[in-house]
Amino acid sequence: MSISVTPSIERSLPRAAIGGLTVAAILFIAFVVLPSVGSDYLFEAILTPFLALALAGVGLNLLTGYAGQVSLGSAAFMAVGAFAAYNFNLRVPELPFLVSIVLAGLTAAGIGLIFGLPSLRLRGFYLAVSTLAAQFFVQWALTKFGWFSNDNPSGIINAPPLKIASVTFDTAVGRYLFSLGIVTVLTFLAWRLTRAQTGRNFIAVRDNQTAARVIGVPVLRTKLLAFAVSSFIIGVAGVLWAFAYLRTVEPAGFNLDRSFQILFIIIIGGLASIRGAFLGAGFIVVFPLLLSRLGGELLGGIVDSGVVEMSQRIVIGALIILFLIAEPKGLAELGRRAARRLGGRPT
Amino acid sequence: MSSATTGALLPAGDLYPFEPAGVTRDPGRSRSGPAERGADVESAQPGAERDAVLAISGVSLRFGGVTALADIDLTVAPGEIRGVIGPNGAGKSSLLNIVSGLYRPSAGHVRIAGVDFTEVPTQRLAHLGVARTFQNLALFGGLTVLENVVMGLTSTIRSGPLGQVLGLPAARREDAANRAKAEAIVAFLHLSGVAHRPAGELSYGLQKRVELARALVARPRLLLLDEPMAGMTATEKQELAAFVREARDTYGTTIVLIEHDIGVVMGLCDRVAVLDYGRKIADGTPHDIAADPLVIDAYLGVAHDADETLEIEEAV
Repeated sequence: MSISVTPSIERSLPRAAIGGLTVAAILFIAFVVLPSVGSDYLFEAILTPFLALALAGVGLNLLTGYAGQVSLGSAAFMAVGAFAAYNFNLRVPELPFLVSIVLAGLTAAGIGLIFGLPSLRLRGFYLAVSTLAAQFFVQWALTKFGWFSNDNPSGIINAPPLKIASVTFDTAVGRYLFSLGIVTVLTFLAWRLTRAQTGRNFIAVRDNQTAARVIGVPVLRTKLLAFAVSSFIIGVAGVLWAFAYLRTVEPAGFNLDRSFQILFIIIIGGLASIRGAFLGAGFIVVFPLLLSRLGGELLGGIVDSGVVEMSQRIVIGALIILFLIAEPKGLAELGRRAARRLGGRPT
Repeated sequence: MSSATTGALLPAGDLYPFEPAGVTRDPGRSRSGPAERGADVESAQPGAERDAVLAISGVSLRFGGVTALADIDLTVAPGEIRGVIGPNGAGKSSLLNIVSGLYRPSAGHVRIAGVDFTEVPTQRLAHLGVARTFQNLALFGGLTVLENVVMGLTSTIRSGPLGQVLGLPAARREDAANRAKAEAIVAFLHLSGVAHRPAGELSYGLQKRVELARALVARPRLLLLDEPMAGMTATEKQELAAFVREARDTYGTTIVLIEHDIGVVMGLCDRVAVLDYGRKIADGTPHDIAADPLVIDAYLGVAHDADETLEIEEAV
């Protein structure tokens, strides 16, 4: 039963270096290469929504993947972020836009904290149902009280342009780069969090609450922190969704479907994995577009477009089921396994 | 005050006992000491209770109409390995859950490190210098072995989430120090080879050992082991027994060991208490226990006359 010592550390070093290089390469492509070659369609219809949803996925993954608290209220926290940013921007015009975004995140964190309180008593499905309350309550409040939308009769507000100092990001590429910058910073901080003691506390609470309590993990505080941090990130994702992608702020953009979409993103991408949120968001955003192009080209002339769209949904649904049966741990695990196989190391 | 004591138990980077405490360094003495005192230490020697690392007095536990524990007294002297044995359902785990605050006793109180509790605050357990393992595996499956062990130091963490995320010097130093401590314990328990594997992937025996490492890393004054050898092979049991003894001898940890397997307990423990149907039916050295007719009845089936004695006792 003697076990050989050493190789683990030596093995983990080059892997960390490879990971760092990969991230650097992706960032280089995203920041430098794509803006010079991509089309407006790519940025407006694919990359910007992808970034916003990926960020929301990162936020939800902290809460659900790492801390094990299931939430169906993600879209509500996105809405809180978007409306808070709009109102801070409107009512305190001298506030720099970045500060408005941070304040919007903090507002979402506050609301998330309140709706996280049931997690102190409820777990699993019961908690998920109680987070639905956030979804319905926030949407109701935003529609009911005109103050939030500045008494706009239609309830749909045009979002003001994105601005840092005197630079305005009002082109498709500009909005994309703005989103990319914010997503990069927040994702890096989230990644740091998962690697730190606080992230380990999240996992400990998820994996064994009793053992965590005995060791001295402040279980209640950890859960509430997870809700707050997660809602902060999701709130900022909401700002990006409304300001950079839709360019309107309206409650309908943040309905229950959106919450489910974000949950699917992290399940398909991989729970408790930062990378998973991006892979999942890529799948959810890009795949339907690809399918619709393919469907349009193959069947466009023959079959009614409504039928084409319906069959796409069926195909996507079937693929999700098949995929989850084949790889329940998500795309991130699939990638990890492929990398391991390429590296020639047996599992 | 409690955190200060815990701190004193954790000299940074020091793997060796900082206090040459005679009691803990000399197993022979700690073994013979209690032996002379005999079976009812608690009532005969109030001084022993005052010095005890753990003193349970008059603890009862009732779930509805079911009595899981009835008026249990138990003291644990510094540096000893204290066994608690008994058949299934005797209340051993319940007793440990009361000591770690997961259950609230219906009556009686628990004295840990000189402080009396009617309900032990689980959240402060680590600060009181108490660590425990669980009967069923209770590792954090999503963390690596090393990370699991680092988690054992949670109660000593000073840095906040923000400091950790931003990588402030204090947080980084703390993290590095904790990793070093964890690596030392991991090496001590011969787990270095699997240190970076997810804990959930390991074999049952190894996972049990990781749990021991996680409990030991904070250098607890009192370590509660709930059936650490359950489900192990004979070889694994012997290995773990050796580790437990070594932990006591090296770190001076006082250990309460709950075990189903009499054989292991007899070889390992300085004193053994026997529970049956929630009552303590014997308490003494392994030698005394082995000869006690009540214990033999409880374990090997009940001889007719002994059965009557029990019934009379219960009636009284």
